[in-house]
Amino acid sequence: MEPSGIKDLIIRSLGENAGDGSITGRLEEEGVTFDFGRDFTQKVVDRIFSVSSELVAEKELFRSMRFVFNRVALTGVAAILILLFSIFMAEGSFSLNSFLGIGDSVDESIVCLLTGI
Amino acid sequence: MKGSYRQADDSELVKASVNGDRLAFSEIVERYRRMVARTVKGMLGDSVFSEDIGQEVFIKLYHSLSDFRGEARLSTYIQKIAINLTLNEIKRRKRFFSMFSQDGENELYEHEIPDPENEQKRDATELVSKALAGLEPKFRIIVTMRMLQGYSTKETAEILNLPLGTVLSRLSRAQEQLKEILGKL
Repeated sequence: MEPSGIKDLIIRSLGENAGDGSITGRLEEEGVTFDFGRDFTQKVVDRIFSVSSELVAEKELFRSMRFVFNRVALTGVAAILILLFSIFMAEGSFSLNSFLGIGDSVDESIVCLLTGI
Repeated sequence: MKGSYRQADDSELVKASVNGDRLAFSEIVERYRRMVARTVKGMLGDSVFSEDIGQEVFIKLYHSLSDFRGEARLSTYIQKIAINLTLNEIKRRKRFFSMFSQDGENELYEHEIPDPENEQKRDATELVSKALAGLEPKFRIIVTMRMLQGYSTKETAEILNLPLGTVLSRLSRAQEQLKEILGKL
């Protein structure tokens, strides 16, 4: 088709009765086509799925770390509670000395030990 | 189902893609790439940047597929993503060029080096591209929807989320501008 014919089609495509796609089809037949490169689909899919697999690996790592942390945290809390209970049973209080394991009697034994008396 | 998605309808493809099926999503891209190309290249011109925007459209689609309820057609959903990303790119370019040039509008639309193998096709596409390049973006989007996508005025208004009257008046002004532009080509 001559350029004037294509120009006419372009103008007619905007007319009130041209919304059925027929003129668009005719323009396509005349070679008015728009498309991306040949490997466009592959590029898109590669970009999405390579990023997705990285994200999956990252999520998996965080999940395992959270699982390990929960286990360690629970065991740690249990150990602290047992320790507190045993300190309380042994010393009868929660003073700083009982936490540090240095009661009044201990001071004397350290002095004796250091001076040799 | 895997490997035979050519016959599958859009809802099946969406469901499989949400479950991470690469082949199903490839079929969606293959099915709608030309539609996206018409919108993006119609609006931005034929360049490698348009291809980047095209890729972004499908990446955004993939990440929002789980939100797709199937109330609208998949093509309309993709079309809206394409329009939004293209308009964002136009705004971005406008900001960028306005910093360096007084006449930024002309630099918003790019032309690729033509393929010499098919001269007739090249001429027709180039003529349309040149005509579109001369239009203001607000008219260009409407002409792209009507001329390249073949949507009716009502569909164009729905997709662009504009009142029907606005689309009609823009179409009429775009038609006048196009006649003027084509007269010079």
